[in-house]
Amino acid sequence: MTWQTFFDFSSMAHRHLVFVYGGVIAVQLAYVGWVARNWSRIGRQ
Amino acid sequence: MARPSTVRNFAWLWLAATIAVLIVGFRQAIFLAPMEATMGNLQRIFYYHLPHAILGLIFPYINLAASLGYLYWRRRDPLKALSADALAVASAEITVLYVGITLASGMLWGKPAWGIWWAWDARLTTELILWLLYVSYLMLRRFSPAGQTGVLSAVLAVFAAVDVPIVYMSIHWWRTQHPAPVFGSDGGGIDPGMVPAVLWNLAGWAMWGLLLIGFRFALERRRQLAEQEAALLALEASLETPQ
Repeated sequence: MTWQTFFDFSSMAHRHLVFVYGGVIAVQLAYVGWVARNWSRIGRQ
Repeated sequence: MARPSTVRNFAWLWLAATIAVLIVGFRQAIFLAPMEATMGNLQRIFYYHLPHAILGLIFPYINLAASLGYLYWRRRDPLKALSADALAVASAEITVLYVGITLASGMLWGKPAWGIWWAWDARLTTELILWLLYVSYLMLRRFSPAGQTGVLSAVLAVFAAVDVPIVYMSIHWWRTQHPAPVFGSDGGGIDPGMVPAVLWNLAGWAMWGLLLIGFRFALERRRQLAEQEAALLALEASLETPQ
């Protein structure tokens, strides 16, 4: 598989593959961001 | 007790190592692992689904151990009990995150593979119950009366952990639509070319999960200390003689 075929959205299977990899990374980063935001907010109090 | 700067340096090193392992895992999963014969590239979802599913069944045990520690220390050593409570909430949140990702990635695989998003079979249903149990644990912590949060949530954590072995054994005990296990003595096995992708991703997401638990634990300790300081200040203010 290449980057080009990874982002091939022509079939549902490929679309869902990208959704899983992109979604997992996005959700994990969002959670870290939320913890970091609370960390700095409590630090300022 | 380690100095804060040492802990911070270790955390940054751990983060760098984790990102490196996750990049190798991504490369193995997408570009190097062979394409599966029947499912094609859709099978590559497995390399992210499996590590989150396995770790989603391990992190609840950290929550269970911390909750039991809290119940044991709450009268004997309140400071240790507070640390155990912070570890319990950290591991519960990461459990919700990992089990939620397992469910979502499984559904995204299920639609193209089975033609349906969801099936009420034993594995999927027990996994959903596990997620709901830890969501309810976090809701209980948020909305229970102050002073009772620790005990109530620790008791719920003990009951919630009972679902973990049921999720694990569900595909052995009942006929399910979920694919049979691929590892272990009764597993179907996988192509040897796929093993590095499984192991790198398992290692990477385990390192990431431990990092998240550590970071969330530190945040909860910081919140507890801020709360204690605020309580002390309020007490001092109430004791001051009015002018």
